[in-house]
Amino acid sequence: MRFIRVLDVAVGSALVIAGTASAQTITEQSRESAYAEIAGLPAFEGVWQPDWSAITKLRAAEGEAPLTRQARATIDAFNAAKAKGENIQTEGANCRPTGMPGVMRYPYPIEFIYSPGKVNIVIETHSQLRQIFTDGRALPADPDFLFNGNSVGHWEDDVLVVDTIGFSPLISLMSGLHPTQQTRMQERIYLENPEKLVIDTTITDPELFTQPFTTTVSYRLEPDWDLREYICQENNRDAADEDGRPSMNLGFDELD
Amino acid sequence: MKRSAIALATAGLLALGATTSSAHHSTAMFEWGSAVPLKDATVTRWEWTNPHTFLYVTAKDGSGQTKRWAFEGMSPNHLSRAGWSRRTLTPGDKIDVTYYPLRDGRNGGFNVTVTFPDGRTLNQLEF
Repeated sequence: MRFIRVLDVAVGSALVIAGTASAQTITEQSRESAYAEIAGLPAFEGVWQPDWSAITKLRAAEGEAPLTRQARATIDAFNAAKAKGENIQTEGANCRPTGMPGVMRYPYPIEFIYSPGKVNIVIETHSQLRQIFTDGRALPADPDFLFNGNSVGHWEDDVLVVDTIGFSPLISLMSGLHPTQQTRMQERIYLENPEKLVIDTTITDPELFTQPFTTTVSYRLEPDWDLREYICQENNRDAADEDGRPSMNLGFDELD
Repeated sequence: MKRSAIALATAGLLALGATTSSAHHSTAMFEWGSAVPLKDATVTRWEWTNPHTFLYVTAKDGSGQTKRWAFEGMSPNHLSRAGWSRRTLTPGDKIDVTYYPLRDGRNGGFNVTVTFPDGRTLNQLEF
């Protein structure tokens, strides 16, 4: 019989913070019992399409974000450069993935897949994977800086609460605003009904926000969809220069 | 629960705004929202690729000369769920097109609709 290693968290698991490792012991759980546990979780599994109208509302919410003076100045400078034709295009035009929180808000679907100790979110755009570790481990004390950050999750009744830290300075929390090493995100993921999944995302960072900044995106279940491959480099004719000026190669030369 | 394409079209009528038209770039280079027609076009190439499909046609311009046009479109990921496929267009097909023109004046833009001789229309941005 195969066994699955799980962390047995001896302390309360409501708050998963660095430094609790001493209170944890590794135990073994049978494969059967690990998968049986999954069957008792809320039915997140499946393909979910973001609600595009919610994404439009998101832009409005970002305009009202409780920014510190420093963050406001950063965004104002970013927007001022737009008048000179800069910052029109993001590195996305050069096929670079967007990172959190945008990775959850592309116009293409995502798929939740449970496995023992993990909630896996497959993101169709750029064929990406987020792993939310729910095996009781703590967030890394000295995280690497990743586009999608480092995530652990725990269940509060039927809500998956995901804490994420360690973001690459190359990503943007919203247009023109990069994360700092203090940036944290907490997502509350839940089913409003069997066909509607909601994610409330709260960003905290004392350098950037005067209070926690929460935005919400919802998704509809698409039971007949499969995720498709998405390789941006296949035939990308758009580009952004280093100042975000757009260009487009129509490809006429290649037709001759 | 099998949902047909028709049910999907009624249940999920979607119109894309400028901010969500694409997974990977802004629409600033197009006259977004102002569709213009190009009639009696002949398909020369249909690229069913990411991050965008591309449709190449020839058609007569205002002076009666035959010119080439290139139209960016939504990705196969989007279009395959909206009734399009890599077989939708074949070189030699006669079609009418509407598109959002490029602001720089080149012969091209973002494809909005394709209409076939039998009157059937496919839409890139609403389904």
